[in-house]
Amino acid sequence: MIKMVVVEKTYKGGIHALNGISVEMEKGEFVFIVGPSGSGKSTFMKLLTKEEEPTAGEIYVAGKNLANLPRWRVPYLRRNVGSVFQDFKLLPNKTVFENVAFALEVIGRPKSVVRRQVPQILELVGLGEKLDRFPDELSGGEQQRVSIARAFVNRPLILVADEPTGNLDPATSVGIMRLLDRINRTGTTVVMATHDHAIVDSMRRRVIELEGGNVVRDQSRGIYGVGT
Amino acid sequence: MRANYFLSETVTNLKRNVLMTVAAISTVAISLLLLGGVRILDLTINNVTSRWEAKVEISTFLRDDIAPDETQDLESDLANMNEVQSITYVSKEEAFEEFKELYADHPEFYETLPKDSLPASLRIKLTDADYTQLVAARIRGAPGVDSVNFGGDIIKRLLQVNSLLRTITLAMSVILLVAAAALIANTIRLAIYARRDEIGIMKLVGATNWFIRIPFMLEGVFAAMVGALVSGLVVLLSNEFLFSRVGNFLQFLGPVFEFSTSEILWVLALLILVGAGIGIVGSMLALRRFLEV
Repeated sequence: MIKMVVVEKTYKGGIHALNGISVEMEKGEFVFIVGPSGSGKSTFMKLLTKEEEPTAGEIYVAGKNLANLPRWRVPYLRRNVGSVFQDFKLLPNKTVFENVAFALEVIGRPKSVVRRQVPQILELVGLGEKLDRFPDELSGGEQQRVSIARAFVNRPLILVADEPTGNLDPATSVGIMRLLDRINRTGTTVVMATHDHAIVDSMRRRVIELEGGNVVRDQSRGIYGVGT
Repeated sequence: MRANYFLSETVTNLKRNVLMTVAAISTVAISLLLLGGVRILDLTINNVTSRWEAKVEISTFLRDDIAPDETQDLESDLANMNEVQSITYVSKEEAFEEFKELYADHPEFYETLPKDSLPASLRIKLTDADYTQLVAARIRGAPGVDSVNFGGDIIKRLLQVNSLLRTITLAMSVILLVAAAALIANTIRLAIYARRDEIGIMKLVGATNWFIRIPFMLEGVFAAMVGALVSGLVVLLSNEFLFSRVGNFLQFLGPVFEFSTSEILWVLALLILVGAGIGIVGSMLALRRFLEV
């Protein structure tokens, strides 16, 4: 589903974010990307949606070599890769329903599909009763659920989550993780960058640890840190 | 549903910065109005020159000692030229009669003149005033021809004034058109800035670039078209109410301010086409670099 072959990324100004990493992820895997700030986690995530391009190496996502993907095809890649962020990125002037519906409308899905799928997915994330609320009327955890609903409403093959629990308290985070786990069980590959020890340790899923732009550990059913 | 979406997005954008939109629309209208003015000026000058050109003739004065067959030869030579429309022979007596008519108020001018003092001449009308120099040069050296006269200078002067006016107005209108395109680009940039969060999410969830662009492009084209319609309306109203009055005032020039419906429609078509062009160029300017990620 995802394959990186000796991928390097050097930003303008000479900062080396990734130093030739190679990883492979199968369909339906749940993978944590862990490591301290500046280890290359965010760069890793951005490469998957072609928000950034590698300086060297090859990246395959959902069967496509991203290097050969022309710019105009990038939107179609992103329809297969849902994104969730630490800061939710919801539109404050739209209701919960509208925020999720927006994701379908702008890729040209017909109204009938929007009307059917949006309530369904909001039910799934546990917000079936709050369709007409605005984001600032919701708790942080609820907002993140809306953002996950938006990323998943189009049934992408891959869900990419960059620190989705970074702004949430531990109890709320558990709820979010249950949700991501449920999504993973539908066969969706989930890639989640985090530095939340408790979460990684409790989930016991594959862990890829980055440090200084290198993969220093790749362990199935791993915990956050070997030594900690 | 797509058309609906694009339409409502466009209207939202236009409402969001009314002031910029109004500025863009009026700049388009003014610059197109100048362009329309250039066209109307052209049409007017055409009317004037074609009237004047119709009056242009070459007077070929014949020597008193010209032999009758030389006159014949000259006439038939001229008749064979494609550029020549008609030839009229004016005898010495006819020339004197015309002179008398012209100076009817001043009998002292002609009373003292012998009746045969004016030369006979051939008056040549041409198919097109542009050939004046050419034909005049051909006749000049012919046997029996004393001198050749034509009134081409006035027309030349008129055309020069016209081309100067034209250049100035055209330059002004081009400058304003560029300003209009820039204003439209700016309006759209503001609209994009106001909606940058939404655009970010649209890109995130895989909206195509064209899908994101179209509402903004429509906005630019819409503003330009409204400007074009305003300028077109002014031209139409001027044609209806203003030109006839100016024409009355300048009656001595003849009906130079009367334009056919098709001439006016062509002016309108020009304005709307150029307007749409400005809208598209302005939108492209604004959108060129905003979808890089």
